Amino acid sequence: MSFSSILYLIKEGFRNIYNHRMMSLASVVVLVSCLIITGSAALISVNVNSIISSIGDEDQITVYLKPELSDLDSIKLGPELSALRNVDSYKYRSRDDVLKDYKKSLGDDIFEAMQGKGNPFGNEYKLKLRDLSKYNETAALIQKMDGVDTVSDRSDVAGKLTKLNYFVTVVGLWVVLVLAVVTLFIISNTIKMTMYSRRFEISIMKSVGATNTFIRIPFIIEAMVIGLASGLISSAVILSLYEPVRGAAAGVISMIGPATQTAEQIWLPTLLVMSAIGMAIGLSGAVISMVRYLNKEGGAILGK
Amino acid sequence: MIHLENVSKVYPNGTEALNNITLDIGKGEFVFIVGPSGAGKSTFLKLLIREEKATFGKLSVNGRDLINIKKRKIPYLRRTMGIVFQDFRLIDKMTVFDNVAFAMRAIGEPEKSIKKRVGTVLKIVGLEGTENRRPRELSGGEQQRVSLARALVNRPEILIADEPTGNIDPELSFEIMKMLVAVNRRGTTVIVVTHEHELVRKFGGRVIRIAEGELDSDYFISTKYNPQKPAPKPAGDESAAPPDDDDKQQTDGSAEKPEQNGSSDKEGGQQ
Repeated sequence: MSFSSILYLIKEGFRNIYNHRMMSLASVVVLVSCLIITGSAALISVNVNSIISSIGDEDQITVYLKPELSDLDSIKLGPELSALRNVDSYKYRSRDDVLKDYKKSLGDDIFEAMQGKGNPFGNEYKLKLRDLSKYNETAALIQKMDGVDTVSDRSDVAGKLTKLNYFVTVVGLWVVLVLAVVTLFIISNTIKMTMYSRRFEISIMKSVGATNTFIRIPFIIEAMVIGLASGLISSAVILSLYEPVRGAAAGVISMIGPATQTAEQIWLPTLLVMSAIGMAIGLSGAVISMVRYLNKEGGAILGK
Repeated sequence: MIHLENVSKVYPNGTEALNNITLDIGKGEFVFIVGPSGAGKSTFLKLLIREEKATFGKLSVNGRDLINIKKRKIPYLRRTMGIVFQDFRLIDKMTVFDNVAFAMRAIGEPEKSIKKRVGTVLKIVGLEGTENRRPRELSGGEQQRVSLARALVNRPEILIADEPTGNIDPELSFEIMKMLVAVNRRGTTVIVVTHEHELVRKFGGRVIRIAEGELDSDYFISTKYNPQKPAPKPAGDESAAPPDDDDKQQTDGSAEKPEQNGSSDKEGGQQ
């Protein structure tokens, strides 16, 4: 195919969009809506996963020892804890270190009277687990040990987030599927209308020996440009709303802030994935309508 | 060039459009296909351009077997043909130049040769200077000439004209027919489907009459336009003498029985 043919076909694709601008606009609007919902569901899922994994990164559990347990007994407990199969490593923190941390975060004045023997805190251990999913099992074993007061419990948050992620993924998938079908229908109708309005030209092209591929290319370009435009517009909408929404969510639940992805991290993948999905939907819609059209009514030349 | 042997066409709804047609059309012939409405003329053309596939029989065009031809090869078969439609099929939003160029662009010809060849062909059909006009600004005859230019621009070996004068007045019809004869004289095989007996009598040539889906007759009318070019004898048709109707009447020549095996090329005729 010559260079001028390629230029001609691209021009024809854009001409199709212009000639059926209202239908093209309708397709873009529907596709943008679909992609915004798809993209939002995907970003929620990504961020929930990110929060879950940030909990996973902090795969430490804190073992609070009884305040009356002596420092020596507390230190002796260390090897016992590390003997547990799910414990990867441990770190001892004395009651003075614990008090220091509280003083740092809440202010010196309140804890002034708690120095020395007045320290109400017990010593503690920070344990790194090998497998967070066996959290409950390990916590129960530790809880049974002498001198252990309580064990920090994060399994509940992890479980809830896993359920939320599952919900977002399943619901998101269904929403995306339904919208994809609707969008395919709209796009294929747009292309069918374009082909119908150009049936005259198509019959002439067929009569002079144009191949089906040559006839199809402008329509494929039309559909892919609609898809690409929709991908770019929906990415722009999502990215412009992302930080405000993330900020608002972080205001409600503080852990969302550091655990979630920033706009800087997601803009490029969002743009690329949304554009690719838009073009893929456009292409599929075009192929569906073209194959049917060219094999049936679009195959007529003399047409009597 | 075109060979039909016991060709029949039955549409999926059961309509038997053509029945057991056997004939040959040689390179460079000028052939009229005549017959009443619904006789099967359009189906005959559809088989030639492979818009429809023959149900039975053998059919080949330019050595290509049209019964077993692969779908993807059909466009290349059509590139050896030019089609002139009764309703012109011109695209209103395009200029005359672009309408003609469209046929070249559709098969991926480079823009450089498009510019060159479209100009030449418009000159041949007498439309030089109308390049930038729209079809609606032209008369019916001129529009048909644009359609003819489009059919010729890819230098077809066979020109098929489906009722080319059906939508234009008699004077202009005469002009169009003269152009078709001129195209034929350049060596292109021309097949004209028409209802207009007057034109057939005036221009003469080989006349194939189809009636009720069958080859009714195949004869030659000699005129000053087609002085001495007898048609080949259609195989298996012993009663190929001209029928006793308007189609077989002569103008300044005589109706002849078809001769054996389409020797038209050798006999000169319009070449």
